[in-house]
Amino acid sequence: MGLVARRIEELGVPTVCLNLLWMFQRIVGMPRVAAVEHPFGRPFGDVGDAATQRAVLLAALEVASTVDEPGAVVHLPFVWHEDPKHTKWHPPEPAPIIRLMKAQLAKNA
Amino acid sequence: MGDPRGIVFRGFPDSWLESQLGRPGRVLHNEGMEKKPRTVDPLRFTGRTIGRLLSERIESEAPYESIPWTPVSKSLHVSRVALLSTAGISMRGDPPFDMEGERKRPTWGDPSWRAIRADATPADVEVNHLHIDTGYAQRDLNVALPLDRLRELVEEGRVGAIAETHYSIMGFQGHDPMRVVRESADAIAGPLRAEGVDLLLLAPV
Repeated sequence: MGLVARRIEELGVPTVCLNLLWMFQRIVGMPRVAAVEHPFGRPFGDVGDAATQRAVLLAALEVASTVDEPGAVVHLPFVWHEDPKHTKWHPPEPAPIIRLMKAQLAKNA
Repeated sequence: MGDPRGIVFRGFPDSWLESQLGRPGRVLHNEGMEKKPRTVDPLRFTGRTIGRLLSERIESEAPYESIPWTPVSKSLHVSRVALLSTAGISMRGDPPFDMEGERKRPTWGDPSWRAIRADATPADVEVNHLHIDTGYAQRDLNVALPLDRLRELVEEGRVGAIAETHYSIMGFQGHDPMRVVRESADAIAGPLRAEGVDLLLLAPV
């Protein structure tokens, strides 16, 4: 996502990236980043939680209009409503790359 | 975690969050006696193994050298805004993102892109991404591509206009993360500019 943002920015359209893994900024260099502490799959908020979805969307857009320092990461203050232990985001079956890595680990063990 | 550059930390007061949410909210705070606002913990939901893999990958790669920059020229309330999601969303009738290809070649991810109409509803789209539970976005598209929320912000006068076309790619790109840039970024930038989009918000899943 960050690399696509860089290219689109280069082609003349201002971008802002909502980001769950803001530490990637160190190697990607996105123009503007709004970091949020939400689980994979639901970056704007939970199903049916229109208030959070709206607030995250507006906050991310406001990052674009207020930040004028390339590469800035703004940390949004939202707190996910569930404990990580009770937050389900995993796919129904492990992703192919995870399956491959597990098979390789088992082979090397 | 190395030395992330260019970090702007902004402490939001609880009252700001409450004014945005319309109900009480909590601002992130450090544990401990002093309630200092803290930064986002990117590994809070990843689990230990995935967290370790991500951290190792970031530490093994070189920091960025420069950042492209196009100044934002208009205020938000007069800007035309488009959204891009990495959730692998496609309109029914368009080819879905290629999950079979990734199952056959686990180090490959579909690098193509799809246009999404501004009035798309969950019934109009499918969501394909093997690294998350796509069920949430299939029930409420706004968790990943908040078109309804963006339309409401336009109606409230906070945002100038909603673009007619929005976009999706599929976030997992395996061993060749530049491929989606070559195959899709230029192709998306063309219609964004043709439609006069002032700001693109990209959102991960």
